[in-house]
Amino acid sequence: MSVEMRADLEGEHARLVPIGPFDLAHALGVVRAVEKAERHLDGCRSVDIDLAELEKIDGAGAVLLARLLDRFEAEGRRSRVVEGRGPEAARLIALYRGRGVGRPAARIRTMSALEQIGATAARLPATVTHALDFVGRFAIALPRAAVHPQSVDWPSLPRLAQEIGADALPVMSAASLLVGIIIGLLGVSQLGRFGAVVYIPELVVVAHFRELGPLVTAMVVAGRSGAGLASEIATMKVSDEIDALRAMGFDPMRWLVVPRCLALVVMVALLTWVGNVLALIGGFVATITMADMTPRAYLIGTEKAITASLLAGGLIKSPFLGLAIGLIACGQGLATQGGAAAVGARTTTAVVLAISGVLVIDALFTFFYALIGI
Amino acid sequence: MPATRPHILVHDLRIGWGSKVLMEHVSFEVERGTAFAILGGSGAGKSTLLRYLIGLERPTAGRIDIDRIGEPHLHQGTPPFGVLFQSGALFSSLTLAENLALPLTAWTPIRGATMRELVQAKLDLVGLASFGDHLPGEISGGMKKRAGIARAMMLEPDLLFFDEPSAGLDPISAVELDQLILTLKQDLGITVVIVTHELPSIFLVADQCIVLNRAANGIVARGDPRKLRDESEIPFVRGFFTRSSSGASSTQGA
Repeated sequence: MSVEMRADLEGEHARLVPIGPFDLAHALGVVRAVEKAERHLDGCRSVDIDLAELEKIDGAGAVLLARLLDRFEAEGRRSRVVEGRGPEAARLIALYRGRGVGRPAARIRTMSALEQIGATAARLPATVTHALDFVGRFAIALPRAAVHPQSVDWPSLPRLAQEIGADALPVMSAASLLVGIIIGLLGVSQLGRFGAVVYIPELVVVAHFRELGPLVTAMVVAGRSGAGLASEIATMKVSDEIDALRAMGFDPMRWLVVPRCLALVVMVALLTWVGNVLALIGGFVATITMADMTPRAYLIGTEKAITASLLAGGLIKSPFLGLAIGLIACGQGLATQGGAAAVGARTTTAVVLAISGVLVIDALFTFFYALIGI
Repeated sequence: MPATRPHILVHDLRIGWGSKVLMEHVSFEVERGTAFAILGGSGAGKSTLLRYLIGLERPTAGRIDIDRIGEPHLHQGTPPFGVLFQSGALFSSLTLAENLALPLTAWTPIRGATMRELVQAKLDLVGLASFGDHLPGEISGGMKKRAGIARAMMLEPDLLFFDEPSAGLDPISAVELDQLILTLKQDLGITVVIVTHELPSIFLVADQCIVLNRAANGIVARGDPRKLRDESEIPFVRGFFTRSSSGASSTQGA
């Protein structure tokens, strides 16, 4: 079935006859036929569109013919639609006439890379202000939560502790064990060259207890729970559940954010401690299998290396890392606006920010420890 | 144009899960180019029946036959009809224009200026001409539903299904939406199947209707809704139509 538009010219008058099916399935043919016919119309003052030979028409065909008529009008040509077998086709074209004239068709959105950089930079001050505002509101919410314990969703705490802490144990243990093994092997290959294998237990303890333990734990939790909490709260936000909480007189900050941050503070510290134990096991296994060292010697070396300040130095960091993860994840969740895509975007941002935040805070602590000389 | 075959034929449909029967002996016909309303109170199974009509669910017994399509199916490929879901179901990450363009890019070779023209014409038709660049999150509920209708119409279907089109809308938006549905039916000749319990919509738009009732496990009444309101002898049906139209029927009827 071919789509055509015959143009019969008589001086300044033209008759356009659409032939064939003018529908969506043949829309490209219709566009070509219309363009071709339009080229023959130079100098025509009046145009009739005769629908007698139209085989079929639907909304798409009607839109394209209506736009043609609109163009005639804009060019100052007189135009007329001659009804074909029935009035339906002409009525359909009339339905789409004069709509959207003189208005640019809706643009399909695109943003160049440069525009995107600019837009991100322009948003930066507002983002920083928003983050500081959020931390401030959390600081106010804490004492209020203590004064009005009923304004906090305490019953959710066991579930949160389970999800953030207990459920993370397998992946956490595996990560810590491997890090312990890696440190042990590193000691065997590097310290072993100087015959200093006796210092491997101390290396494992110092490296993991003070630096890598809290860091690895926080990174794992930031990836796991950061994504989980951010997407949970973001979904609540886009489905109006946060507004519903406020309407019922709850402060989302106290009801949702406080128990989550609390669970993270406690659980990251506990997981760090568990991770320390597993790293010791990893270092132990690596060293006694790969180096000339007795298990007994390793254990004695480890016992001497563990000092209170070393253990505390690591464990003091953990709650701050947990708090940072909680604030970032909840803050991103609550800032969500829009729909499903916004939930995904905010979750991604939350994980990226949580991991970066953990690294920055850890580095600050290390710097501070170096300053005070431990 | 007198139709020789009904556009939709439902014969002895049974809907249920396992031994639990929600509806049985459901039979009705929808004529081409008319508006057909599926009525009933909350929980009567209106939206469930719609899910079967559009092929989201398979009937355990009975037959649904859509003219030129046969059994409704939603396998991959050009969708055979348009559906407006309750919330509009627009994709939130796309602008209205992009939402409307999606069916064209997926199922037709139309691109570029022609696509923009077709999208803009549909936006105009539903009164959203200057909102093409907006995201669904930035417009009201009534506008979302109208945009949903425009998207459902992008592939020029001759059959449209509406799930509670005016639910949750203010009276003015609801009337505007009803007028739009009436335009689709009268000017575009589209067959419209509409699930609703909004009485003003029913009397304005619907030519024929069925009334579902949970206690009766199926259809309790069928026919012209205006006649049912005035002449039905079934107490439930009279109650359904007069419950809120008793005072307003003089202004809304006919």
